[in-house]
Amino acid sequence: MSQARAVQAEASGLDGLSLQQRMELQYEIEQFLYAEAAMIDAREYRAWLDLWTEDCSYWMPIRRTVTLSDIDKEFTKRGDMSFFDDDKKALAMRVTKMESGSSWSEDPPSRTRHFVNNVRVVALEGSEITVELAFSLYRTRLNTEESMWAGRRVDRLRRVNGALKLCGRDIYLEQTLIRATNMSTLF
Amino acid sequence: MDLVQEPGGTPSKAEIRSYFDPADGTLDRRVFADQEIYDLEMRNIYARAWNFMCHESQIPNPGDYFINYIGEDQVIVVRDKQGEVQVLLNTCRHRGNALCRAEQGNAKSFVCSYHGWNYDLNGDLIGVPGMSAYYRKDFDKSQWGLAKAAQVDHFHGFYFATLDPDTPPLPDYLGEVGRIGLGLLVANGPVEIVDGIQKNVIDCNWKIAVDNLFDWYHVQYSHASAGIAGFMDIAAILHPKNQMVMFGDYGHAISGPVITPERQAEIDAMTDEQRLAVAAAGMLKDPNRPVVPPRLSAARELLGPTGVRCMGHPNIFPNLWVSTNGTQLSLRLPRGPFATEIWWFTVLPKAMPEEVKKKQIAFSAHLFGPAGMLEQDDGENWSQSTRASRGVKARGYRHHMAMGLGQDEVLTDASGTSRVETTISEHAQRWLYTNWMNWLTADSWAELKANHPSFPKGRA
Repeated sequence: MSQARAVQAEASGLDGLSLQQRMELQYEIEQFLYAEAAMIDAREYRAWLDLWTEDCSYWMPIRRTVTLSDIDKEFTKRGDMSFFDDDKKALAMRVTKMESGSSWSEDPPSRTRHFVNNVRVVALEGSEITVELAFSLYRTRLNTEESMWAGRRVDRLRRVNGALKLCGRDIYLEQTLIRATNMSTLF
Repeated sequence: MDLVQEPGGTPSKAEIRSYFDPADGTLDRRVFADQEIYDLEMRNIYARAWNFMCHESQIPNPGDYFINYIGEDQVIVVRDKQGEVQVLLNTCRHRGNALCRAEQGNAKSFVCSYHGWNYDLNGDLIGVPGMSAYYRKDFDKSQWGLAKAAQVDHFHGFYFATLDPDTPPLPDYLGEVGRIGLGLLVANGPVEIVDGIQKNVIDCNWKIAVDNLFDWYHVQYSHASAGIAGFMDIAAILHPKNQMVMFGDYGHAISGPVITPERQAEIDAMTDEQRLAVAAAGMLKDPNRPVVPPRLSAARELLGPTGVRCMGHPNIFPNLWVSTNGTQLSLRLPRGPFATEIWWFTVLPKAMPEEVKKKQIAFSAHLFGPAGMLEQDDGENWSQSTRASRGVKARGYRHHMAMGLGQDEVLTDASGTSRVETTISEHAQRWLYTNWMNWLTADSWAELKANHPSFPKGRA
């Protein structure tokens, strides 16, 4: 077993699950994340907001081009500057803004397509499930603006009254200088 | 000579003087689209001006460096072994390759990744592979050190550099309005930069972004959705009847709300402890409804009797915006006529309580930057305004920049600095372009100083 896999099994709390249980969990989580992505792409922002717990966190640190010797400083730390550092209230404001009819960065609306893959359940702790995945987000705006963002996400999900909810999302982009007029879309 | 169009298409001085008409407040749209004008801006403005580099807290130790730009020249801002800040052109003297390819970090020396030329932190060439075997010692290293900025200086830890040896000293270049503008950053004591510079690129001309920072007219409409979303009470931050524009040397200006003399008198009667308590309570209660934090009593000496009342947006010409009451800095780095990199630095007083810092950082992250509740909408307006300057027909229509023209009385401080206290206006934009033309038409610093537009008098 590779060191990475050994560390994962040890840290995950998953080793008590049978293969069948793991497959069912994987299926359930993937279906949830696909549905969530489809909701954003269909511009169902209000319904999307309901997927988040009240104590949620949505965070995208700033990434820098650094040398290998400084690689631990590649991303800003929590509490330093970021692109997104939202709680539920801030996410709700973003949604209200997009619905307002005067959010010029989203009216005319962007066209987005979220791709979610390489989904791995990496930890089970109480009612919380930590998932790592690769995403890509293709966006066009007006007739000429085109953005392609890819990255790694660490999502935290929680069962609330039997249903899965999102309680955390850390977004690690594969860009340093953001090559876009804005990031008015949801990741 | 002046009237001749050079073969490369560089506009004549007479033509440049036609771009902005201070008498009717209109601006030629070609200034946003012509490559020749952009090239002239690089030579006559960016290569001559003091350009913001970084704050001392970003490079505290020897070897710490931060990459920035002077126009299109990439520079390494580095603290050398003696503790001095050096500004070196990030280009090897051998084949021109970049020495630093990271945005920031720490280096013992700068080694070129192409052939291994090695430069000391002060730019001296200290190592050349093959000195004996290949060059056969026929090479004078002392002549091939890195190119350097002509002058480096700082204002309260904010470092600037210029490529021109004739640029006036930084305090003279800033003048009173520039010193007030930067002074807002340190009005509540020594500061540091929060880790993480937000950077994105907008398809707009850099001057559209600079114009916008003076512009309190767009706020109610461009940013209406931030108000509807409950992020910010747009009406409450506008103070449309209490606006001030200060006219600074070489095109610096400050535009935006001003504390009324009555409110300032109330602040003056408070102790520093009371002022700190009001500021902290405002931020902790609701960071999205910021009360204007009263500045500490020492700020009056730093900013002067007018500057201490300033809540507006200063621009240090050409491209440094001191924003949101001195808590953020934005650089607008030109990348050709049709693109601008926007960099956001977040500035906090070192003595601010941790709990308040946390709120302030979160507020700054929500406000500006590409995902900011306000700035999201700016980028698209700026890029579309720039785009429309390219059309053969459209570019024939000049921008209207005449709001308040000739309608306000100019007040002059004992120090000689002019200002207007009025409603929302476009005085600052007109001052920007009046000075911009002066920079473009001057062949040297001597000429620039000689042709320096005098501060408005009487009515503006």
